[in-house]
This record gives sequence, structure tokens and C-alpha cells, in this order.
Amino acid sequence: MQTRKDTDTTLNQEKAGSPKYWQSLEQWRQDPEFLKMAEKEFVSSPLSSDEGKDGWARREFLKLMGASLALTSFGCIRRPAQKIVPYAKRPEEIVPGIANYYSSSFVDGDEIFGLIVKTREGRPIKVDGNPDFPLNKGGVSARAVSHILSLYDPDRLTSPKKNLLNKERTNRDTVSVTYEDLDKAVVEALKAGKAGVLSKPVTGPSGRALLNEFKNKFKTTNYYFNDHTQGVEEKAQQEAYGTAVTPRYEIAKADFILSLGADFLGAHQSSTAYTKQFSSRRSPGEDMNKLTVVESLLSLTGSNADERYTVAPGEELNFVMAVIYSLSQTGQARINSQVKDTATQFKAFYDQHKEAVDSVVADLVKAKGKSLVLTGGLNTQHEQALQLHLAVQYLNNVLGNDGKTVKYRNTRTGNWGEVDTLSQLAKDIESGKIETLIVNDVNFVYQLSSDHPLQSAVRGLKNVVYVGDRIDETGQVAHYVIPVDHPLETWNDHEPLDGLYLIQQPTIRPLYDSRSFEQSMIQWMTLDGATPRYAGDESLWFEYVQNYWKSNIIRGSFDNSWNEVLQNGYFDSSASARDNNLPSRNFNESALKGIKPVSSKESLVLYKTIGLRDGNLANVAWLQEFPDPVTKICWDNYLVVSPKYAESQKLKQGQMVEIKVAGKQVTVPVHVQPGVHEKAVGLAVGYGRSAAGKVADGVGVNAFKLAKFDGKEMISAGLDYELKATKQSIPLASVQDHHSMEGRQIVVEATLDQFMKKPSAGIHKHKVFSMWNKHKYPGHKWAMTIDLSKCTGCSACMISCQSENNIPVVGKKYILQGREMHWIRVDRYFTGEPENPGVVYQPIACMHCDNAPCETVCPVIATSHTDEGLNQMTYNRCVGTRYCANNCPYKVRRFNWFDYTEIRKPTEMALNPEVTVRARGVMEKCTFCFHKIRGAKEQAKQDGRTLVDGDVKTACQEACPADAIVFGDMNDPESKISKSLGNERTYGLIEEVNAQPNLKFLTKIRNTKKLKNDHAGNSGGHH
Amino acid sequence: MLKKVIGAVVALVLLVGLPSFIYALTNNKLSIGYNKGYMPEQPIPYSHELHAGQLKIDCKYCHTATEVSRHAAVPSLNICMNCHLNVNVREEARPQIEKLQQAYMNNEPIKWEKVHLLPDHVKFNHAAHVRADKQCQECHGPIEKMPIVYQHSDLSMGWCVNCHRKPENNAPVGCDTCHY
Repeated sequence: MQTRKDTDTTLNQEKAGSPKYWQSLEQWRQDPEFLKMAEKEFVSSPLSSDEGKDGWARREFLKLMGASLALTSFGCIRRPAQKIVPYAKRPEEIVPGIANYYSSSFVDGDEIFGLIVKTREGRPIKVDGNPDFPLNKGGVSARAVSHILSLYDPDRLTSPKKNLLNKERTNRDTVSVTYEDLDKAVVEALKAGKAGVLSKPVTGPSGRALLNEFKNKFKTTNYYFNDHTQGVEEKAQQEAYGTAVTPRYEIAKADFILSLGADFLGAHQSSTAYTKQFSSRRSPGEDMNKLTVVESLLSLTGSNADERYTVAPGEELNFVMAVIYSLSQTGQARINSQVKDTATQFKAFYDQHKEAVDSVVADLVKAKGKSLVLTGGLNTQHEQALQLHLAVQYLNNVLGNDGKTVKYRNTRTGNWGEVDTLSQLAKDIESGKIETLIVNDVNFVYQLSSDHPLQSAVRGLKNVVYVGDRIDETGQVAHYVIPVDHPLETWNDHEPLDGLYLIQQPTIRPLYDSRSFEQSMIQWMTLDGATPRYAGDESLWFEYVQNYWKSNIIRGSFDNSWNEVLQNGYFDSSASARDNNLPSRNFNESALKGIKPVSSKESLVLYKTIGLRDGNLANVAWLQEFPDPVTKICWDNYLVVSPKYAESQKLKQGQMVEIKVAGKQVTVPVHVQPGVHEKAVGLAVGYGRSAAGKVADGVGVNAFKLAKFDGKEMISAGLDYELKATKQSIPLASVQDHHSMEGRQIVVEATLDQFMKKPSAGIHKHKVFSMWNKHKYPGHKWAMTIDLSKCTGCSACMISCQSENNIPVVGKKYILQGREMHWIRVDRYFTGEPENPGVVYQPIACMHCDNAPCETVCPVIATSHTDEGLNQMTYNRCVGTRYCANNCPYKVRRFNWFDYTEIRKPTEMALNPEVTVRARGVMEKCTFCFHKIRGAKEQAKQDGRTLVDGDVKTACQEACPADAIVFGDMNDPESKISKSLGNERTYGLIEEVNAQPNLKFLTKIRNTKKLKNDHAGNSGGHH
Repeated sequence: MLKKVIGAVVALVLLVGLPSFIYALTNNKLSIGYNKGYMPEQPIPYSHELHAGQLKIDCKYCHTATEVSRHAAVPSLNICMNCHLNVNVREEARPQIEKLQQAYMNNEPIKWEKVHLLPDHVKFNHAAHVRADKQCQECHGPIEKMPIVYQHSDLSMGWCVNCHRKPENNAPVGCDTCHY
């Protein structure tokens, strides 16, 4: 029960002005519209205004129901006749009803995952991280989980096609073609010479070997493209140290991390592996690391920072140089006199930001040799990007990090492309060096601005062969399009780090008449009489991979080792070499010459979102409905502006504005985002696809279009722009204000110092009295904790849950009505002033309360309590009164307003047969992965043992790259969950209503001196 | 007058009929829509009476998944072929066996008619029941005497729960036992 005193103080706080934790600017301002909405509690009502236009009106629905009732009572009582179709020849390993697991992998841009793929009756249905694989260590990203849905994408290309193009490539008429004819035409073109291959990075040793053979055979010129930032980091290393490597960053070994715009926990490089390392040091105590972020937009990494400073776009360089200047002045690090002169130019910036720079310098010096400075990503790809990388690496060098947290051996291998790959290709086409181009899955027509020379050059080519999973933007200008196997359909190998080999096992036969790029290469080579070196008798790509491993990687008896590799999923020959510290390299200081301060100006920054990144998985509906962790908006991209800028330009949330960059223009809605520097506006790439498929086409605008081609590379940050506001506006599908839990103790924060003095700092314990007799739980009692100190808000749990539990996608229209279906959501709270607020993420799922308020109000007992403490939902009892959702203090119940089960074929193959597909009119919510508990119990009984701790892992827990989620049996005193529940940081949500939740949280500890909301310098309590 | 008589008869029928109908329905005297006795014709007239009854082949020889999976699994053709590639059969059964062999050779599965169909939203686990030493016949009836398989029990919720409630079975009765 909430005591009188609590109520009063809560009210006082509300009256006194802005709340301490707020979810949106509207709430911070106490906007009357927001208050109205919060009061309403539920965004959606059954009588929404446009009901009837779409779907059935209530009355009509009742009418139809009456009719069908009559039919069932008087019609012939006859079951639906169903068939059972057993295998003709059942594969030995497949038992109907039992899942099989295969190790595999997934390459997502520059992130490579080791995976475990769950299959049922031969269909892959769920992707989890491989817990043993040294990089992601069991963690996955939302995208890695989602790539299973791209396998069943209805818009995939099913057979090879030929585009009948006119000279200008303006028309397109697509006809089917056989592989025979296609191969003949391609081989002829290859034999004519002047051929080129433009490929996505070839990350595997076998693929590289094959591509080399192919190159020698047909004398091709090969180009590689990953993204617009490619090669910058390597080039900086080349200039600084003489060798071009992409260093390996040891986040886990760094006590202090300074990120200059690098969204390394979000959309930059191997963010999942980085998150794993980062969160391993987030348990409060002596060992806790500290993260400081300097950036212009608010990224996921920035929102996780202990300390964060905003700068104008491009000024990241000024900040690093100011740090170097400060070091050179105090002599806390040895700075070469030449560099000192260069750094002196930044005195003005230093004087202006003295407090911030000094604080960073103090942290860096304290953690010498154990600190790490990072930069990179689309949002730092401004004209001085190379200088920024150089300055950052110099800082790492003088602080003694080089070789310790910045490793330059056993780094990533493979062909990742040069800075100017694509402009080089355009030049070669124009000079007549290339006449035939084979494109392996690089959608450059979409990813390049319209003024890039390759856009027109590719249209003048004699032959273009596109290997991709659909006729996308680039496929449309190709003569031939070859449907490529999905990664889950084909063999491959990868070498994410030198000496660390990863196997990609197929888990299903190709669904369509597709062929992998590698198989195509083998085919073309053999058609021209060549025998690829490792190809076997049948000239299969699989044989090639296997033979390559036999000759080059595995020593000794092959069969056993090969099976072992398949079982483990990887082969690591450089583990100890990677762990060793390396000597520091000599930095070539003259590379820093010529660095000039970046002038602070209003400019546009393009950035990647965690969900869509560069847009290649845009047609996956899960990712479109994935609310961006920072903005909480889905189904759109939008111009991110700061509250100050919005005020000065009189821009409102959702207002459409025209953005013009060098003559190129897009029209986008505005999103006013706290924490963005007033001189920065941001726009996410990955949206605005025109040929991706039914889901993605027309969602948002293509921001790549606005990038600037400087004659060599694409510049995506610090772009000059003109902004013109229009009178129109559109609603943005934001989930941030849904499920508002007004002014109660929701998130608890404390500083590390406060924690060291008192581990339970910040937690306000409520006195409650209970009218209930305590339930007895003699057997198991399931509970969960989420550590807010570790959680980065990456939201991989949401998508993992969606995949595991057959959660439907509802679309933008219904998100706007608050009808999203996610069983676990990640709430985002701001604290402090909107200019640079603190951010806290909090995943919320069903709390499985001991005294569940939902249970007492259900008129049909569709929701009830099990003797293991679970709050269960019996779908076929539910009649849809929604009383339970009304009575849930945590707002975790989701209602099926419509029949979401009608999905396009073959998407239904991704459904998990262990979980009921819910029908219209039924309430649903998190079950604590009840089917997994049952499965684990079943397995334990089968093995003749009792359940042990760790047998049951929920989908969210399994996916979490931060290891923030603990789940288990709290009746077992030795279990991890019992220990976690006994932690002094553990608190329950809204405990004053005595619901006794079984999902508890651990307070967020920030490694900083003062919290953002801590105006008076005191702490503790929620008021 | 006639109207009154009809009215009285209707009232009487309702008064007596409805309660007894409800009584019959709720006490398992009458079942509607449960398909008890459903006996569809199968694409190959496989006889359990012959295989399980006369030849005494163990149920689990063919229904291999029974002990490990929720499904008992209708056997795949390669299991049939363990015997039928070699074993001689009666003259009149030959065409059927040839059909079977043909399907196996062509790798074409046979589409059997499903007999036992649980209502939606119910999950049943064969392995758990076999582990509890339940005989197949307890639910499927005298299967070894069935030339054509039919549904022996009504497979209604009441029928399930009646057995689960018996103290000697020590079986769970929470909703989540079957519905999740």
C-alpha cells in the first residue's frame, strides 16, 4: 500500500515542476497534451475514430459472429479433416517434435557472429549466440536474431532473372532465364576480358582463395565495398605506423574509455562483442570502468556514458586536440614539440571547454596504459575524419595504450576495401578498363549519393551481373540477377580475426532456385575448362570449403577434427597470441601536421541506427517495428534536432521539413531529441528503400542521397544544409509515452561513490501491509533480475522475445494507437536538463507478481497463478475484457486487437511450434518463456536427473549481450538468481502497491561524481 | 386452444429437456463435436489388427518418437520398408504394398488422414505419458483389434482432467499443464 506520506510527496514533486525522470520533452515541460494522455492511461480504445474503415466495426463483428455461431450449431458437425505427412525417408537426426541445433554464423557489415541455430523439423526458427565463440560469447544483436526472418522473406527472388534494359537503363522488363543460358552469357562476357568483381567483404579464407583463383583465371579486377567509413581507420594506421590494420580494441581491459562519436555499443563495428566486453566491467566496485562520450547527436553509447559532452559536428577533432594540448601543457604525457605546436592552435577550444577537457585528461592520465580512445562511424565521417583517427591513435600512443588496449596483431582479416574503392571503380569503367561487372551483394545504387560517378558509370557497362537476394535498387540496373542463397542456406567460412576461423553451416536446403556467389564462381570457372584447386568431384562450394580446411587449417585426422569444428562452430588458433600485450609502436608524428581546428557550424550528420544500419535488412518487419532505443520511434526516419534548435526555428515534433544538401533534397519529419548539440541535426540512413519489398519500400527517406562525394570518398557528417519548414506534419510512431508509470520509483540511480559507501544507495524502501496470505511455492519458484548498470538498452532482448514467442508486427498505424505487441519493452528515461540529459534504460516484461493484480479481476479466470510463481495466461479461456490490462500497474499486457496471424507465406515457417499463435480478442504477455521451462523439465526427466541452475534460459536472457538478465529458481539458495536477489542493489518496481513482483531490478550505478538529476547534491529516495 | 396446447408442450419440453440436456452434456453422458468414433478411410488400408494384434509388433517399433517427443510420430516409410522390402505378403495385399514401395522409391510421402485431433490451444506430450507407464490402449482403445483406426476416446478436456485428477496418477492439473 502506498502510504499517505508517499502520495503527498509525489504530488508535491509533480507540482514543484519537472519530474526527476522523464520520458519525453512533453512530459518534461508538463505539456497539457501529455498530462491528458498520461491520465488516459491507455492510448487505444475500442472505439477509435477510423474503426470500420479498416477491419470490422464492432457491431458488424458481432453480426458476423452471430451468423457463424448459427452455422456451427446447425451445420454438419464435422471436424476439419487434416493430413499427417510423415517423411518418406526420415533423416536419422530428425525426430518430430524435437529441436536440433546447429552452429553457424552471420556476417552483418563489419560484425561477425558465431551462432547456434535452432531448427524444428528442418526449419530454422531461432538464432542465438554461440556461448563459446570468443567474440560475441553468446550475445546477439537485434539484427542477428532478425536475419532468420529474412530467410523467409516473401519478397526474396526465387529464380534467376534477366532484365531487358534499353540503352539509358530507364525501362525494365524482367524475364526468367535458366542457369544454363545465364552461365553461358556470363562466361562469354568473362572470356572477353575487362571484367571486374565488386563484392561485399570476403571474410573467409576459402572464399578469398576461390576469389583469387577466379581473378587469375579471368584476369578480373576486384573491388570490395563495406560502407562509407571503410578504410579510414586503416589509412590512419598506415600513416601513423606504416602498416594498414584495423586495430582490435580491448574494451574489457580499459579502465577508462573515451569515445569521440564512436557508437561502439550501438551501430559501430562489432558492437555486440564490444557490449559483452564493456558490460563485463560494469559491476559496481573497484573494477568498474568509466565511459566518457563526446558527440554531437545522442547515440546509444552516449546515452550509456558516465559523463557526456556535446560538441558541434566535426568538433570531436577539436576535443581530442584540446586533450593533447592540455597534456602537452601539463607534461602528463610526452608530447613531441612538433605536435605541441599543432595542438596549440586548439587553445581557444580548450579555454572554452576547460572543465570538460580537464576532467577527461584527469581520467586518461589516471588510467594510463589502461585507457582507450575510440572514434569512427558514419557520424564521424566528416572531411577531417582521417585527422580525427590520427589524433585519436596518437592519444592512444602517448597514453601507453598502444599494444595494450589497442592491438595491432591478430586483427580482422579479409578484403574490406579501400577508402576510394567505388570512385576507383567508376574511373576504371570510364577509362574502358572494365566492361563487365559482377556485383556480389553490394547495393551501391542505394548507398551512394546520386552525384557519385559510379551511378552513371554503371549504366554504361556492357554487362552487369548482380548476385543478390532480390532485384533491389542495384539489381534493377543489372542485366542478369542471380538469386543468392541466404546465409542459413549455404556453407561458408569466416576469419573475423587472424587465426580465428568460423564455420557457417547451412540449416535448411535453399528454399528457392538460388545459388551462392561462390558456387557461381566455381560454375563459371569449370564451364571454361578450369578446375578450381580445392573443388571436389562434383564442383561444389561445400567441397571447396571442406578441402580448403583439410589442406590449410586442420592438421592431423580430418574427419574427427572437422566434426569437432562443426560442433564448436569455430576453430581458434590464436587465442593466446591475441591475449598477449604487444610493444608500443613508434608514431610518425609528422602525420599530425596540418591539423587545423574545425569551425563550429550548424551542419547535418548522417548516422546508422541499431535496427536498420545500412538498410540491407530493411524488409524485415521486426526491425522496422523495432523502436530505436534512443528516440523510441519506429517505422520512419526523421530529422533529429535539439530542443533549442527546434525552438529557434519554430519546429514542432512531426513537422515536415525540406532538407537540402548541395542541390539534393528530401522531405522528412522533425523529431526533437534531448541531448543533441544545438548545432547538429541528424538523419538516419537505412530507410527510404525503393526496391526492398513490401515492408520497407516507401518507409522513410534515403539519407545516403544527401552524403557528399568529395571526389574520392563519401562524406556523411558536417554537411552544410538548408532547411525549409513546411506546414504539413505527420505523427511519428513513438512508443516512449505509452505505458507511462507516473512519478513512482521506477529507475534508481546512484554514483559509484555513493554505492561504495552504501550499496543500497538510492533505493527507497516502502512499508507495505498485506491483506493476502502468502502463497506457498514448494517446488520451483521462478524469478528474474535485470541489472540496470549492465543493461545498455540495445534491445536485442525485444527481438529475441519476438522471434521466440511468435509476436506479431502491427504496423505504424497501430503503434500510433498504442497497440504494439512486444512482450518485453525497453523504457528510456531522461534525467536532468534537456540540453544534455542522463539516460537510463529499463527493460520491462511481465513481473509475474505473487499478488498479481491482473488475476483478481479476470472474470473468466483466464489468467491465474501456478504453484511455481508464474502468472499464466490461458488463451482459450480469455474472452478479451481487458480488465487485466487495466489493472496491471506495470502495463505489460498486450491485446490482440485484430487477427495478426494472417501472414504472408512463407513467413509462417519462422513460427515457433512450442508457442501458441494467439488469435484476435485474446490478451497475451510475457510467460517467462514457460515453454522453455517445460522443455527443460522434460529434458531433465528424460535424462533422469533433477533440474539444475542454468537449465532454463529465457529468450531475452539468452540474447542479452550485456549479461544483464539473470533468471532461475529462487527456491534454490545456490542459484544465480538467489544471489542476485540478495544483492543490496536489488529493488522492486512500485513495491508500494504490494504486488510482490518477481522481476526485480538492480540499481544503475554511474561511475561519476554527480548524477544529472542531483541538483542539491543529495541522493536517495524518489522524491 | 391449439395454441395453448402447443405452448404447453413447448414449455414442458424446455422445462424437462434443457436441464437433462445440460446434465448429459456436463456429465460426459453426451458429447458434441468431439468426433468420438471417427474412422476415416486411409490411403493405404493399414491394419493395426494385423501388425500389432496378430504379428505382435511392439507399438514403439514404428511409433519411434513416443518415448522422447511430444509426438508419437506416424512412422516414415523407411520404417515400413524395414520389413516390406523383403517380407512376403498375402496375394490380395500385394497392390497396396507395391504402392507403398513405389512411394518409398520415389521419395513421395504418403498423406494419412489424421484421426486424433486435439482442440486448438492444447498441448499434449506422448513422452510424459509413456514415462508415467500409461499404456497406449488407455487412450487409444483396443488398437490391436482395429483393422481401421478410429477415435476411441472423446479427447475432451473433461476426459483429460478426469484422469489427471486421480490421486494415484499424481498428475498436474494447473491450466499451464496443457495450455501455454
